[in-house]
Amino acid sequence: MARAIRSNTRLDLIVLATCAVLALAARALPNTMRDPVATTMRRSFLAPLVLLQERSEKGRQSLLAADAKQARLDSLSLDAMKAGSLEAENERLRKVIGLGSRIRWGFVPAEALHGRGIRDETTVILSAGSRAGVSRLSPVIAPEGLVGVVDQVDPTMSHAMLWTHPDFRVSAMSPDGTAFGIAQAHLTGATGGYLIELRGVPFRATLKPGALIVSSGWGGVWPRGIPVGTVLQEIKTTEGWARTYLLRPAVNPADVYSVMILRRDRLAKGLEGVWQSVAQADAAAQRIVVSGDSAARTAALAEAAARRAVLDSIARANGTPALGATDSTGAPRVVAPRPVPVRRPPPPDTTPRDTTRRDTIPRRDTISQRPGMTR
Amino acid sequence: MNMGGAIRAIISFLIFVVLHYTLRPLLGWRAPMDFLILALLLAAVRVRPSTAAVIGFILGLISDSLAPDALGAGALAMTTVGFGASYLKAVFFADNLVLNAFFFFLGKWVFDIMYFIVEQRVHGVELVQQLLLWSPLSAAVTAAVGVLLLFIMRPLLEPSPA
Repeated sequence: MARAIRSNTRLDLIVLATCAVLALAARALPNTMRDPVATTMRRSFLAPLVLLQERSEKGRQSLLAADAKQARLDSLSLDAMKAGSLEAENERLRKVIGLGSRIRWGFVPAEALHGRGIRDETTVILSAGSRAGVSRLSPVIAPEGLVGVVDQVDPTMSHAMLWTHPDFRVSAMSPDGTAFGIAQAHLTGATGGYLIELRGVPFRATLKPGALIVSSGWGGVWPRGIPVGTVLQEIKTTEGWARTYLLRPAVNPADVYSVMILRRDRLAKGLEGVWQSVAQADAAAQRIVVSGDSAARTAALAEAAARRAVLDSIARANGTPALGATDSTGAPRVVAPRPVPVRRPPPPDTTPRDTTRRDTIPRRDTISQRPGMTR
Repeated sequence: MNMGGAIRAIISFLIFVVLHYTLRPLLGWRAPMDFLILALLLAAVRVRPSTAAVIGFILGLISDSLAPDALGAGALAMTTVGFGASYLKAVFFADNLVLNAFFFFLGKWVFDIMYFIVEQRVHGVELVQQLLLWSPLSAAVTAAVGVLLLFIMRPLLEPSPA
Protein backbone atom coordinates (compact mmCIF):
# COMPACT_ATOMS: atom_id res chain seq x y z
CA MET A 1 0.00 0.00 0.00
CA ALA A 2 2.74 2.39 1.01
CA ARG A 3 4.72 1.37 -2.09
CA ALA A 4 1.76 2.11 -4.32
CA ILE A 5 1.38 5.54 -2.80
CA ARG A 6 5.06 6.24 -3.24
CA SER A 7 4.85 5.04 -6.85
CA ASN A 8 1.89 7.30 -7.57
CA THR A 9 3.64 10.24 -5.99
CA ARG A 10 6.70 9.56 -8.09
CA LEU A 11 4.53 9.39 -11.19
CA ASP A 12 2.90 12.67 -10.31
CA LEU A 13 6.28 14.29 -9.85
CA ILE A 14 7.52 12.87 -13.16
CA VAL A 15 4.46 14.25 -14.97
CA LEU A 16 4.86 17.59 -13.23
CA ALA A 17 8.50 17.75 -14.17
CA THR A 18 7.72 16.81 -17.75
CA CYS A 19 5.03 19.50 -18.05
CA ALA A 20 7.32 22.06 -16.45
CA VAL A 21 10.17 21.20 -18.80
CA LEU A 22 7.86 21.41 -21.81
CA ALA A 23 6.57 24.77 -20.63
CA LEU A 24 10.07 26.08 -20.13
CA ALA A 25 11.03 24.73 -23.52
CA ALA A 26 8.10 26.55 -25.06
CA ARG A 27 9.17 29.66 -23.24
CA ALA A 28 12.70 29.29 -24.52
CA LEU A 29 11.65 28.91 -28.15
CA PRO A 30 12.86 31.68 -30.45
CA ASN A 31 10.26 34.00 -31.87
CA THR A 32 10.54 32.45 -35.32
CA MET A 33 9.34 29.13 -33.88
CA ARG A 34 7.05 30.49 -31.17
CA ASP A 35 4.76 32.36 -33.53
CA PRO A 36 4.05 29.43 -35.87
CA VAL A 37 3.21 27.22 -32.90
CA ALA A 38 0.80 29.78 -31.45
CA THR A 39 -0.68 30.52 -34.86
CA THR A 40 -1.26 26.83 -35.54
CA MET A 41 -3.08 26.46 -32.23
CA ARG A 42 -5.20 29.55 -32.83
CA ARG A 43 -6.18 28.43 -36.31
CA SER A 44 -7.03 24.85 -35.33
CA PHE A 45 -8.71 23.81 -32.09
CA LEU A 46 -8.65 27.26 -30.55
CA ALA A 47 -10.46 28.91 -33.47
CA PRO A 48 -13.91 28.75 -31.81
CA LEU A 49 -12.55 30.32 -28.61
CA VAL A 50 -10.77 33.04 -30.58
CA LEU A 51 -13.99 33.74 -32.44
CA LEU A 52 -15.89 33.96 -29.15
CA GLN A 53 -13.36 36.37 -27.72
CA GLU A 54 -13.38 38.49 -30.84
CA ARG A 55 -17.15 38.80 -30.76
CA SER A 56 -17.15 39.61 -27.08
CA GLU A 57 -14.62 42.38 -27.56
CA LYS A 58 -16.65 43.78 -30.42
CA GLY A 59 -19.70 43.68 -28.19
CA ARG A 60 -17.83 45.55 -25.50
CA GLN A 61 -16.69 48.18 -27.98
CA SER A 62 -20.26 48.56 -29.16
CA LEU A 63 -21.43 48.99 -25.58
CA LEU A 64 -18.75 51.60 -24.93
CA ALA A 65 -19.56 53.43 -28.13
CA ALA A 66 -23.30 53.28 -27.56
CA ASP A 67 -23.32 56.27 -25.21
CA ALA A 68 -21.26 58.38 -27.57
CA LYS A 69 -23.43 57.35 -30.50
CA GLN A 70 -26.55 58.13 -28.56
CA ALA A 71 -25.18 61.53 -27.58
CA ARG A 72 -24.30 62.22 -31.21
CA LEU A 73 -27.74 61.09 -32.30
CA ASP A 74 -29.35 63.34 -29.73
CA SER A 75 -27.29 66.28 -30.92
CA LEU A 76 -28.26 65.63 -34.51
CA SER A 77 -31.91 65.31 -33.58
CA LEU A 78 -31.72 68.56 -31.67
CA ASP A 79 -30.04 70.29 -34.60
CA ALA A 80 -32.65 68.90 -36.95
CA MET A 81 -35.40 70.19 -34.70
CA LYS A 82 -33.79 73.61 -34.59
CA ALA A 83 -33.19 73.71 -38.32
CA GLY A 84 -36.85 74.13 -39.17
CA SER A 85 -37.37 77.05 -36.82
CA LEU A 86 -34.09 78.62 -37.94
CA GLU A 87 -35.13 78.38 -41.56
CA ALA A 88 -38.48 79.92 -40.75
CA GLU A 89 -36.81 82.68 -38.76
CA ASN A 90 -34.36 83.32 -41.59
CA GLU A 91 -37.25 83.55 -44.01
CA ARG A 92 -39.07 86.00 -41.76
CA LEU A 93 -35.99 88.15 -41.26
CA ARG A 94 -35.26 88.09 -44.98
CA LYS A 95 -38.75 89.35 -45.65
CA VAL A 96 -38.39 92.04 -43.01
CA ILE A 97 -35.12 93.14 -44.56
CA GLY A 98 -36.80 93.20 -47.96
CA LEU A 99 -39.62 95.31 -46.58
CA GLY A 100 -37.12 97.67 -44.98
CA SER A 101 -35.27 98.12 -48.25
CA ARG A 102 -38.54 98.96 -49.99
CA ILE A 103 -39.73 101.40 -47.35
CA ARG A 104 -36.19 102.83 -47.24
CA TRP A 105 -36.69 105.26 -44.36
CA GLY A 106 -38.99 106.32 -41.60
CA PHE A 107 -39.51 103.01 -39.86
CA VAL A 108 -38.39 101.39 -36.64
CA PRO A 109 -37.71 97.65 -36.61
CA ALA A 110 -38.98 95.92 -33.50
CA GLU A 111 -39.49 92.52 -32.01
CA ALA A 112 -43.04 91.51 -31.14
CA LEU A 113 -43.24 89.92 -27.71
CA HIS A 114 -46.34 87.82 -27.36
CA GLY A 115 -47.92 87.60 -23.97
CA ARG A 116 -49.54 84.53 -22.60
CA GLY A 117 -52.37 86.27 -20.85
CA ILE A 118 -56.06 86.52 -21.60
CA ARG A 119 -55.68 89.17 -24.28
CA ASP A 120 -52.53 87.85 -25.87
CA GLU A 121 -54.21 87.30 -29.21
CA THR A 122 -55.25 90.92 -29.58
CA THR A 123 -52.31 92.88 -28.23
CA VAL A 124 -48.55 92.63 -28.38
CA ILE A 125 -45.55 94.28 -26.76
CA LEU A 126 -43.03 95.85 -29.13
CA SER A 127 -39.36 96.21 -28.27
CA ALA A 128 -39.10 99.84 -29.45
CA GLY A 129 -40.47 102.93 -27.76
CA SER A 130 -40.54 106.69 -27.93
CA ARG A 131 -36.76 106.94 -27.81
CA ALA A 132 -36.65 105.19 -31.17
CA GLY A 133 -39.27 107.53 -32.63
CA VAL A 134 -42.37 105.48 -31.99
CA SER A 135 -45.48 107.49 -31.19
CA ARG A 136 -49.07 106.63 -30.44
CA LEU A 137 -51.11 105.49 -33.45
CA SER A 138 -47.98 104.53 -35.34
CA PRO A 139 -48.88 101.77 -37.80
CA VAL A 140 -47.29 98.36 -37.25
CA ILE A 141 -46.66 96.35 -40.39
CA ALA A 142 -45.01 93.11 -41.40
CA PRO A 143 -43.67 91.97 -44.75
CA GLU A 144 -47.02 90.34 -45.43
CA GLY A 145 -49.08 93.40 -44.61
CA LEU A 146 -51.01 95.06 -41.84
CA VAL A 147 -50.40 94.00 -38.24
CA GLY A 148 -51.88 96.63 -35.93
CA VAL A 149 -51.36 100.03 -34.43
CA VAL A 150 -49.42 101.33 -31.42
CA ASP A 151 -51.74 102.40 -28.62
CA GLN A 152 -49.34 102.97 -25.72
CA VAL A 153 -45.77 104.17 -25.86
CA ASP A 154 -43.04 103.88 -23.25
CA PRO A 155 -39.49 105.12 -23.66
CA THR A 156 -38.08 101.72 -24.48
CA MET A 157 -41.09 99.70 -25.50
CA SER A 158 -44.59 100.10 -26.75
CA HIS A 159 -47.91 98.34 -26.71
CA ALA A 160 -49.72 97.61 -29.93
CA MET A 161 -53.26 96.64 -30.74
CA LEU A 162 -53.39 93.86 -33.32
CA TRP A 163 -56.02 93.75 -36.02
CA THR A 164 -57.70 90.99 -34.05
CA HIS A 165 -58.62 93.50 -31.35
CA PRO A 166 -62.38 94.21 -31.20
CA ASP A 167 -61.73 97.97 -31.33
CA PHE A 168 -59.47 97.85 -34.34
CA ARG A 169 -60.68 99.42 -37.57
CA VAL A 170 -58.97 100.31 -40.81
CA SER A 171 -60.35 101.85 -43.95
CA ALA A 172 -59.71 99.42 -46.81
CA MET A 173 -60.34 99.16 -50.51
CA SER A 174 -59.66 97.10 -53.54
CA PRO A 175 -56.42 98.12 -55.29
CA ASP A 176 -58.30 99.57 -58.25
CA GLY A 177 -60.38 101.73 -55.94
CA THR A 178 -63.73 100.36 -56.98
CA ALA A 179 -64.73 99.08 -53.56
CA PHE A 180 -64.22 100.66 -50.19
CA GLY A 181 -65.11 99.49 -46.73
CA ILE A 182 -64.09 99.27 -43.13
CA ALA A 183 -62.03 96.25 -42.13
CA GLN A 184 -62.31 94.81 -38.66
CA ALA A 185 -61.89 91.48 -36.95
CA HIS A 186 -64.56 88.92 -37.68
CA LEU A 187 -65.41 88.03 -34.11
CA THR A 188 -68.40 85.81 -34.66
CA GLY A 189 -68.42 82.29 -35.97
CA ALA A 190 -66.14 79.33 -35.51
CA THR A 191 -63.04 81.20 -36.63
CA GLY A 192 -63.10 83.21 -33.40
CA GLY A 193 -61.51 86.43 -34.60
CA TYR A 194 -58.91 85.03 -36.98
CA LEU A 195 -60.64 86.36 -40.08
CA ILE A 196 -61.40 89.92 -41.14
CA GLU A 197 -64.69 91.48 -42.16
CA LEU A 198 -64.81 94.18 -44.80
CA ARG A 199 -68.01 96.01 -43.93
CA GLY A 200 -69.86 98.80 -45.64
CA VAL A 201 -68.82 97.96 -49.19
CA PRO A 202 -71.21 99.72 -51.61
CA PHE A 203 -73.81 97.39 -52.97
CA ARG A 204 -72.77 98.07 -56.55
CA ALA A 205 -69.21 96.99 -55.89
CA THR A 206 -68.65 93.26 -56.03
CA LEU A 207 -65.44 91.57 -55.06
CA LYS A 208 -64.41 88.16 -56.35
CA PRO A 209 -62.89 85.58 -54.05
CA GLY A 210 -59.12 85.98 -54.00
CA ALA A 211 -59.19 89.71 -54.61
CA LEU A 212 -56.64 91.67 -52.64
CA ILE A 213 -57.78 94.30 -50.17
CA VAL A 214 -55.42 97.07 -49.09
CA SER A 215 -55.60 100.02 -46.77
CA SER A 216 -57.16 103.05 -48.40
CA GLY A 217 -55.16 105.75 -46.64
CA TRP A 218 -58.23 107.50 -45.37
CA GLY A 219 -58.28 108.51 -41.74
CA GLY A 220 -54.70 109.63 -41.41
CA VAL A 221 -53.45 106.64 -39.46
CA TRP A 222 -52.75 104.12 -42.17
CA PRO A 223 -50.98 104.96 -45.38
CA ARG A 224 -52.49 103.71 -48.60
CA GLY A 225 -51.63 100.35 -50.09
CA ILE A 226 -50.84 98.10 -47.15
CA PRO A 227 -52.29 94.60 -47.74
CA VAL A 228 -55.08 93.80 -45.33
CA GLY A 229 -56.22 90.45 -46.70
CA THR A 230 -57.82 88.61 -49.57
CA VAL A 231 -61.50 88.09 -50.16
CA LEU A 232 -62.87 84.71 -49.17
CA GLN A 233 -66.58 85.19 -49.69
CA GLU A 234 -69.44 87.55 -49.16
CA ILE A 235 -71.34 87.08 -45.96
CA LYS A 236 -74.94 87.98 -45.34
CA THR A 237 -75.65 90.68 -42.80
CA THR A 238 -78.68 92.67 -41.77
CA GLU A 239 -77.40 95.69 -43.63
CA GLY A 240 -79.29 95.70 -46.88
CA TRP A 241 -77.60 98.73 -48.33
CA ALA A 242 -74.04 97.48 -48.29
CA ARG A 243 -72.09 94.31 -48.71
CA THR A 244 -69.88 92.62 -46.20
CA TYR A 245 -67.02 90.39 -47.23
CA LEU A 246 -65.00 87.91 -45.27
CA LEU A 247 -61.26 88.30 -45.76
CA ARG A 248 -58.35 85.98 -45.12
CA PRO A 249 -55.89 88.19 -43.23
CA ALA A 250 -52.56 88.98 -44.79
CA VAL A 251 -50.86 88.54 -41.42
CA ASN A 252 -51.49 85.82 -38.89
CA PRO A 253 -51.03 87.43 -35.49
CA ALA A 254 -49.54 84.29 -34.01
CA ASP A 255 -46.73 84.38 -36.59
CA VAL A 256 -45.71 87.96 -35.95
CA TYR A 257 -42.26 88.20 -34.40
CA SER A 258 -40.38 90.88 -36.32
CA VAL A 259 -42.31 93.99 -37.36
CA MET A 260 -41.79 97.50 -38.64
CA ILE A 261 -43.27 100.50 -36.87
CA LEU A 262 -43.85 103.39 -39.26
CA ARG A 263 -42.96 106.83 -37.95
CA ARG A 264 -45.43 109.64 -38.35
CA ASP A 265 -43.21 111.59 -40.72
CA ARG A 266 -43.07 108.58 -43.03
CA LEU A 267 -46.84 108.38 -43.28
CA ALA A 268 -47.05 111.69 -45.04
CA LYS A 269 -44.88 110.37 -47.88
CA GLY A 270 -47.08 107.34 -48.37
CA LEU A 271 -46.14 103.76 -49.11
CA GLU A 272 -47.13 103.64 -52.73
CA GLY A 273 -45.47 100.81 -54.58
CA VAL A 274 -44.03 99.04 -51.55
CA TRP A 275 -46.34 96.07 -51.92
CA GLN A 276 -47.81 96.71 -55.36
CA SER A 277 -44.38 96.69 -56.99
CA VAL A 278 -44.51 92.94 -56.95
CA ALA A 279 -47.40 92.89 -59.35
CA GLN A 280 -45.86 95.66 -61.37
CA ALA A 281 -42.59 93.83 -61.66
CA ASP A 282 -44.35 90.74 -62.88
CA ALA A 283 -46.35 92.71 -65.40
CA ALA A 284 -43.23 94.50 -66.59
CA ALA A 285 -41.42 91.24 -67.07
CA GLN A 286 -44.32 89.85 -69.07
CA ARG A 287 -44.47 92.96 -71.18
CA ILE A 288 -40.78 92.67 -71.97
CA VAL A 289 -41.21 89.09 -73.07
CA VAL A 290 -44.26 89.84 -75.20
CA SER A 291 -42.73 92.89 -76.83
CA GLY A 292 -39.60 90.90 -77.58
CA ASP A 293 -41.67 88.29 -79.35
CA SER A 294 -43.58 90.95 -81.30
CA ALA A 295 -40.42 92.68 -82.46
CA ALA A 296 -38.91 89.42 -83.67
CA ARG A 297 -42.08 88.49 -85.51
CA THR A 298 -42.28 91.91 -87.14
CA ALA A 299 -38.68 91.73 -88.29
CA ALA A 300 -39.24 88.28 -89.78
CA LEU A 301 -42.30 89.43 -91.72
CA ALA A 302 -40.49 92.49 -93.06
CA GLU A 303 -37.56 90.35 -94.22
CA ALA A 304 -39.91 87.94 -95.98
CA ALA A 305 -41.69 90.78 -97.75
CA ALA A 306 -38.44 92.31 -98.94
CA ARG A 307 -37.21 88.93 -100.21
CA ARG A 308 -40.45 88.46 -102.11
CA ALA A 309 -40.13 91.93 -103.69
CA VAL A 310 -36.60 91.15 -104.88
CA LEU A 311 -37.71 87.88 -106.42
CA ASP A 312 -40.58 89.60 -108.16
CA SER A 313 -38.25 92.23 -109.59
CA ILE A 314 -35.91 89.55 -110.93
CA ALA A 315 -38.80 87.69 -112.48
CA ARG A 316 -40.08 90.83 -114.07
CA ALA A 317 -36.70 91.60 -115.58
CA ASN A 318 -36.56 88.11 -117.08
CA GLY A 319 -40.01 88.50 -118.60
CA THR A 320 -41.54 85.84 -116.48
CA PRO A 321 -44.49 86.38 -114.30
CA ALA A 322 -43.82 87.53 -110.91
CA LEU A 323 -43.88 84.83 -108.37
CA GLY A 324 -47.26 84.58 -106.93
CA ALA A 325 -48.27 87.86 -108.51
CA THR A 326 -49.88 86.96 -111.85
CA ASP A 327 -53.34 87.84 -112.95
CA SER A 328 -55.55 86.44 -115.74
CA THR A 329 -54.29 88.89 -118.37
CA GLY A 330 -50.74 87.83 -118.02
CA ALA A 331 -49.58 91.34 -117.42
CA PRO A 332 -47.14 91.72 -114.74
CA ARG A 333 -48.52 93.25 -111.71
CA VAL A 334 -46.70 95.41 -109.42
CA VAL A 335 -46.70 93.73 -106.18
CA ALA A 336 -46.09 95.94 -103.31
CA PRO A 337 -44.75 94.44 -100.20
CA ARG A 338 -47.46 93.44 -97.96
CA PRO A 339 -48.03 95.78 -95.18
CA VAL A 340 -46.45 94.39 -92.17
CA PRO A 341 -49.15 93.34 -89.81
CA VAL A 342 -48.57 95.10 -86.60
CA ARG A 343 -49.22 92.80 -83.79
CA ARG A 344 -50.92 94.55 -81.03
CA PRO A 345 -49.30 94.10 -77.75
CA PRO A 346 -51.59 92.44 -75.31
CA PRO A 347 -53.69 94.80 -73.30
CA PRO A 348 -52.13 95.79 -70.05
CA ASP A 349 -53.16 93.61 -67.25
CA THR A 350 -55.48 95.77 -65.28
CA THR A 351 -56.95 92.97 -63.33
CA PRO A 352 -56.04 93.26 -59.70
CA ARG A 353 -53.38 90.71 -59.18
CA ASP A 354 -52.76 88.80 -56.07
CA THR A 355 -49.06 88.74 -56.60
CA THR A 356 -48.35 90.60 -53.39
CA ARG A 357 -48.52 87.32 -51.70
CA ARG A 358 -45.73 86.37 -49.40
CA ASP A 359 -44.11 83.92 -51.75
CA THR A 360 -43.58 86.49 -54.50
CA ILE A 361 -41.97 89.20 -52.47
CA PRO A 362 -38.36 87.99 -52.80
CA ARG A 363 -38.78 87.71 -56.58
CA ARG A 364 -39.77 91.33 -56.72
CA ASP A 365 -36.58 92.36 -55.03
CA THR A 366 -34.40 90.69 -57.59
CA ILE A 367 -36.25 92.05 -60.60
CA SER A 368 -36.55 95.58 -59.39
CA GLN A 369 -32.81 95.88 -58.95
CA ARG A 370 -32.12 95.48 -62.64
CA PRO A 371 -30.97 98.72 -64.26
CA GLY A 372 -33.50 100.34 -66.45
CA MET A 373 -36.39 98.44 -65.01
CA THR A 374 -39.48 100.52 -64.57
CA ARG A 375 -41.81 99.77 -61.81
CA MET B 1 -15.95 9.95 -9.12
CA ASN B 2 -18.59 8.11 -11.09
CA MET B 3 -19.47 8.71 -14.74
CA GLY B 4 -22.25 11.22 -14.01
CA GLY B 5 -20.02 13.26 -11.76
CA ALA B 6 -17.28 13.24 -14.37
CA ILE B 7 -19.64 14.44 -17.08
CA ARG B 8 -20.95 17.20 -14.85
CA ALA B 9 -17.42 18.23 -13.96
CA ILE B 10 -16.43 18.33 -17.64
CA ILE B 11 -19.51 20.44 -18.45
CA SER B 12 -18.66 22.84 -15.64
CA PHE B 13 -15.09 22.99 -16.85
CA LEU B 14 -16.19 23.86 -20.38
CA ILE B 15 -18.61 26.47 -19.08
CA PHE B 16 -15.77 28.20 -17.23
CA VAL B 17 -13.54 28.08 -20.30
CA VAL B 18 -16.26 29.58 -22.47
CA LEU B 19 -16.93 32.27 -19.86
CA HIS B 20 -13.25 33.16 -19.95
CA TYR B 21 -13.46 33.97 -23.64
CA THR B 22 -16.87 35.65 -23.59
CA LEU B 23 -17.71 37.34 -20.30
CA ARG B 24 -14.17 38.40 -19.43
CA PRO B 25 -13.47 40.39 -22.64
CA LEU B 26 -17.03 41.72 -22.55
CA LEU B 27 -16.51 43.23 -19.11
CA GLY B 28 -12.97 44.39 -19.83
CA TRP B 29 -12.10 45.21 -16.23
CA ARG B 30 -8.64 46.43 -15.27
CA ALA B 31 -8.44 43.66 -12.65
CA PRO B 32 -10.22 40.88 -14.52
CA MET B 33 -11.46 37.59 -13.15
CA ASP B 34 -9.73 34.47 -14.47
CA PHE B 35 -12.19 31.75 -15.34
CA LEU B 36 -9.40 29.48 -16.60
CA ILE B 37 -7.90 29.40 -13.11
CA LEU B 38 -11.33 28.63 -11.66
CA ALA B 39 -11.80 25.82 -14.19
CA LEU B 40 -8.37 24.46 -13.39
CA LEU B 41 -8.90 24.57 -9.63
CA LEU B 42 -12.33 22.94 -9.87
CA ALA B 43 -10.88 20.20 -12.05
CA ALA B 44 -7.73 19.81 -9.98
CA VAL B 45 -9.55 18.91 -6.78
CA ARG B 46 -11.26 16.06 -8.59
CA VAL B 47 -8.25 14.41 -10.22
CA ARG B 48 -4.79 13.22 -9.38
CA PRO B 49 -1.95 15.77 -9.21
CA SER B 50 -0.39 14.45 -12.39
CA THR B 51 -3.65 14.81 -14.27
CA ALA B 52 -4.13 18.27 -12.81
CA ALA B 53 -0.64 19.18 -13.97
CA VAL B 54 -1.46 18.05 -17.52
CA ILE B 55 -4.75 19.95 -17.48
CA GLY B 56 -2.93 23.03 -16.25
CA PHE B 57 -0.29 22.65 -18.93
CA ILE B 58 -2.92 22.43 -21.66
CA LEU B 59 -4.93 25.35 -20.31
CA GLY B 60 -1.74 27.38 -20.02
CA LEU B 61 -0.81 26.66 -23.60
CA ILE B 62 -4.31 27.68 -24.68
CA SER B 63 -4.06 30.99 -22.91
CA ASP B 64 -0.50 31.51 -24.13
CA SER B 65 -1.45 30.92 -27.73
CA LEU B 66 -3.36 34.20 -27.70
CA ALA B 67 -0.24 35.98 -26.44
CA PRO B 68 2.62 34.33 -28.31
CA ASP B 69 5.28 36.46 -26.62
CA ALA B 70 4.43 34.74 -23.33
CA LEU B 71 4.21 31.22 -24.76
CA GLY B 72 5.19 28.82 -22.00
CA ALA B 73 4.81 31.22 -19.08
CA GLY B 74 1.13 30.53 -18.60
CA ALA B 75 1.67 26.81 -19.16
CA LEU B 76 4.34 26.64 -16.45
CA ALA B 77 2.28 28.69 -13.99
CA MET B 78 -0.90 26.70 -14.56
CA THR B 79 0.95 23.40 -14.34
CA THR B 80 2.27 24.41 -10.95
CA VAL B 81 -1.06 25.77 -9.72
CA GLY B 82 -2.95 22.69 -10.91
CA PHE B 83 -0.49 20.29 -9.33
CA GLY B 84 -0.44 22.24 -6.07
CA ALA B 85 -4.22 22.53 -5.92
CA SER B 86 -4.67 18.82 -6.47
CA TYR B 87 -1.96 18.04 -3.94
CA LEU B 88 -3.52 20.29 -1.30
CA LYS B 89 -7.16 19.53 -2.06
CA ALA B 90 -7.70 17.74 1.21
CA VAL B 91 -6.66 20.89 3.02
CA PHE B 92 -8.52 23.52 1.09
CA PHE B 93 -11.51 22.21 -0.76
CA ALA B 94 -13.80 21.67 2.14
CA ASP B 95 -17.45 22.54 2.02
CA ASN B 96 -16.77 26.05 3.18
CA LEU B 97 -17.26 29.05 0.95
CA VAL B 98 -14.66 31.16 2.72
CA LEU B 99 -12.05 28.46 2.37
CA ASN B 100 -12.99 28.01 -1.25
CA ALA B 101 -12.67 31.75 -1.81
CA PHE B 102 -9.24 31.74 -0.23
CA PHE B 103 -8.34 28.74 -2.40
CA PHE B 104 -9.33 30.63 -5.54
CA PHE B 105 -7.58 33.78 -4.36
CA LEU B 106 -4.37 31.96 -3.62
CA GLY B 107 -4.47 30.02 -6.88
CA LYS B 108 -4.91 33.12 -8.99
CA TRP B 109 -2.29 35.10 -7.11
CA VAL B 110 0.30 32.35 -7.33
CA PHE B 111 -0.45 31.99 -11.01
CA ASP B 112 0.06 35.71 -11.58
CA ILE B 113 3.29 35.77 -9.63
CA MET B 114 4.75 32.90 -11.61
CA TYR B 115 3.37 34.16 -14.89
CA PHE B 116 4.75 37.69 -14.64
CA ILE B 117 8.09 36.53 -13.36
CA VAL B 118 8.53 33.95 -16.10
CA GLU B 119 7.12 36.20 -18.79
CA GLN B 120 9.75 38.91 -18.00
CA ARG B 121 7.74 41.57 -19.80
CA VAL B 122 7.18 43.77 -16.76
CA HIS B 123 10.09 44.93 -14.63
CA GLY B 124 10.92 47.01 -11.59
CA VAL B 125 8.28 49.12 -9.91
CA GLU B 126 5.73 48.18 -12.51
CA LEU B 127 6.22 44.52 -11.67
CA VAL B 128 5.88 45.20 -7.95
CA GLN B 129 2.75 47.22 -8.60
CA GLN B 130 1.36 44.46 -10.76
CA LEU B 131 2.10 41.70 -8.24
CA LEU B 132 1.07 43.60 -5.12
CA LEU B 133 -1.83 45.63 -6.39
CA TRP B 134 -3.43 44.44 -9.58
CA SER B 135 -2.81 40.74 -9.11
CA PRO B 136 -4.37 40.63 -5.62
CA LEU B 137 -7.29 42.67 -6.93
CA SER B 138 -7.70 40.32 -9.83
CA ALA B 139 -7.37 37.36 -7.46
CA ALA B 140 -10.02 38.82 -5.19
CA VAL B 141 -12.39 39.34 -8.11
CA THR B 142 -11.68 35.81 -9.30
CA ALA B 143 -12.36 34.45 -5.82
CA ALA B 144 -15.62 36.35 -5.56
CA VAL B 145 -16.78 35.22 -8.96
CA GLY B 146 -15.65 31.68 -8.21
CA VAL B 147 -17.64 31.54 -4.99
CA LEU B 148 -20.66 32.99 -6.77
CA LEU B 149 -20.40 30.40 -9.53
CA LEU B 150 -19.94 27.64 -7.01
CA PHE B 151 -23.11 28.77 -5.34
CA ILE B 152 -24.97 28.94 -8.63
CA MET B 153 -23.59 25.69 -10.02
CA ARG B 154 -23.78 23.72 -6.80
CA PRO B 155 -26.27 21.19 -8.24
CA LEU B 156 -23.88 20.58 -11.10
CA LEU B 157 -20.73 20.32 -8.99
CA GLU B 158 -21.98 18.29 -6.03
CA PRO B 159 -21.32 14.57 -6.17
CA SER B 160 -24.42 12.58 -7.04
CA PRO B 161 -25.99 10.60 -4.18
CA ALA B 162 -24.95 7.01 -4.09
